[in-house]
Amino acid sequence: MSKFRRYGFYSLLIFYSVLTIVPFLWSLSTSFKPSDEVYQRNLVPNAPTMKAYSTVFGKIQPNFQTLFANSLFIACVVVILHLVFAALAGYAFARLRFPGRDLLFFVVLGCMMIPDQLRLVPMYQLLVKMGLINTGPSNYLAIFLIKAISAADVFLMRQYFLTIPKEMEDAAKIDGAGPFQLFARVMLPSAAPVLATVAILTFQGTWNDLFWPSIVLQSPAHWTLPFGILQFKGQFSTDWPPIMALVVLSTVPILALYTFGQRYIINVQLASSSKG
Amino acid sequence: MQFTKHKGLRLSRKQSENAVAYGFVTIPMALFLFLSVGIFIYAIYISTFDWGIMGPTKSVGLDNYRKAFSDPIFLKAIKNSVKYAVLVVPIQSALGLYLALLVNSKIKGSKFFRSAFYFPSIASSAAITTLFIFLMAPDGVFNSVLRFFGINTSNLFNQGAWLSDSRTALYSIIGLNAWTTSGTMMLFYLANLQTVDSQFAEAAVMDGASRRQVFWYITMPLLKPAHLFVVATGMIGALQLYDQAILAGGADGSPDYSLMTMVLYIYNACFRKFEFGYASAIGVILFVIIFSLTVLQKTLFGSAAWKGEN
Repeated sequence: MSKFRRYGFYSLLIFYSVLTIVPFLWSLSTSFKPSDEVYQRNLVPNAPTMKAYSTVFGKIQPNFQTLFANSLFIACVVVILHLVFAALAGYAFARLRFPGRDLLFFVVLGCMMIPDQLRLVPMYQLLVKMGLINTGPSNYLAIFLIKAISAADVFLMRQYFLTIPKEMEDAAKIDGAGPFQLFARVMLPSAAPVLATVAILTFQGTWNDLFWPSIVLQSPAHWTLPFGILQFKGQFSTDWPPIMALVVLSTVPILALYTFGQRYIINVQLASSSKG
Repeated sequence: MQFTKHKGLRLSRKQSENAVAYGFVTIPMALFLFLSVGIFIYAIYISTFDWGIMGPTKSVGLDNYRKAFSDPIFLKAIKNSVKYAVLVVPIQSALGLYLALLVNSKIKGSKFFRSAFYFPSIASSAAITTLFIFLMAPDGVFNSVLRFFGINTSNLFNQGAWLSDSRTALYSIIGLNAWTTSGTMMLFYLANLQTVDSQFAEAAVMDGASRRQVFWYITMPLLKPAHLFVVATGMIGALQLYDQAILAGGADGSPDYSLMTMVLYIYNACFRKFEFGYASAIGVILFVIIFSLTVLQKTLFGSAAWKGEN
């Protein structure tokens, strides 16, 4: 690459990085600004203040701690549900032979085609009938039921189990392992990377989801962070620093998760694409 | 005797194998049948009723579907959703491909740039859209930057009110989402690029092909699986636009229904008008559109899809 070309190349890369990072820096900066500085063009606040943070941690109802706890609780439960069901079904579809397997797998593929928006009305009616649309703690069950299983995750697990060499299984069988031991002691450990991927992507998807929480969650005490941002954006209208503080605080955990797990996220795109 | 005993043993082993397999799949399949298949059938059933807050009142056949296509706001919602999809998909795909090619070259810091480019894809749409409503306000940073480059938006037709002018609101959301989703599209292209053998490109260069020729005649055709996947997922995602619309335009997709999308319309029919039968019919229509697009894409480009079938 010529020197000139390389400079051009790097300036493009740097230009687009600025375009992706600066908006987030701006939200960070605004969250520390006093109200009268909000529309000024300085990235570093002249008179930095923690006022926005004391607002979101204390004055708003529900406060940040509540929103955070709800988001974390819901995301963790959904991650566990997805891991358990995707591992069980993915393993069976990849490694076991049984009558009706292909038909059932076809049903799973079909479920991937059903958009959430089609499920909205019947799901809501069903949840009302089950008494889960309420302001009590059983309201959480509504979200768990909606998100209990993901066809895409079952598919992903199956694709991965298909790639594990048969010899590993045979060796364990010779050692006298039963089918569930084989699954728990041999197959699950070797599927650790894809389990991590499913966990990270599910956590991220649930943490960021606005659609279902905005429909199902009835009590402010149950709101999640994205739903809280939607609600407070309406209430504060032009008082930007507290809203930006919420934006920052809701993004940091997901950024940490991404930094920790990015090799899995990139690997899985490969796993789901090139193998089969 | 020996033979039948042996056969019986094998049969029972086969049966126990089946029992084990069903042990693995019963709960997941029951959930799928209940939460997806059953719900799907229930959606079609509800859509044939006049179904209010107290439940079904009368069976109306296909009237809910007829009603939809005679409602100008629904037609506007379809128009907006399709316009959005048709514009955002090529932009996010092309940008994703371009970014992938940039970070795939052997350069210092490619890992950093890859993370930086993917960064907008990881935050929640609620956080990002709220941030952009702030940045794109008339007094916001976006307009300041434009002013810095000599474009004084307060003299322009919308006075720099990007998201609260019906002529620019949808285009602003298109720009925003092309920016956020291009990182994900970049990852899909990167995954494909890493499986592409560089020998083809090298051979072409040896034969005297220009950079441009290598790109159009070698790289682009080899990336066909990624193109298909990126366009299909992009299209499906685009037709489900909801978060950005309700955040920027409220439940009415303001201003002047310019951000009214199909999904937002379902939300309104359901939770503001309590017309559940009607809302369900719109859901079915959305499903039919998405399903047809997927089938069309499969038949047009062959079934050797990106998702594992080849």
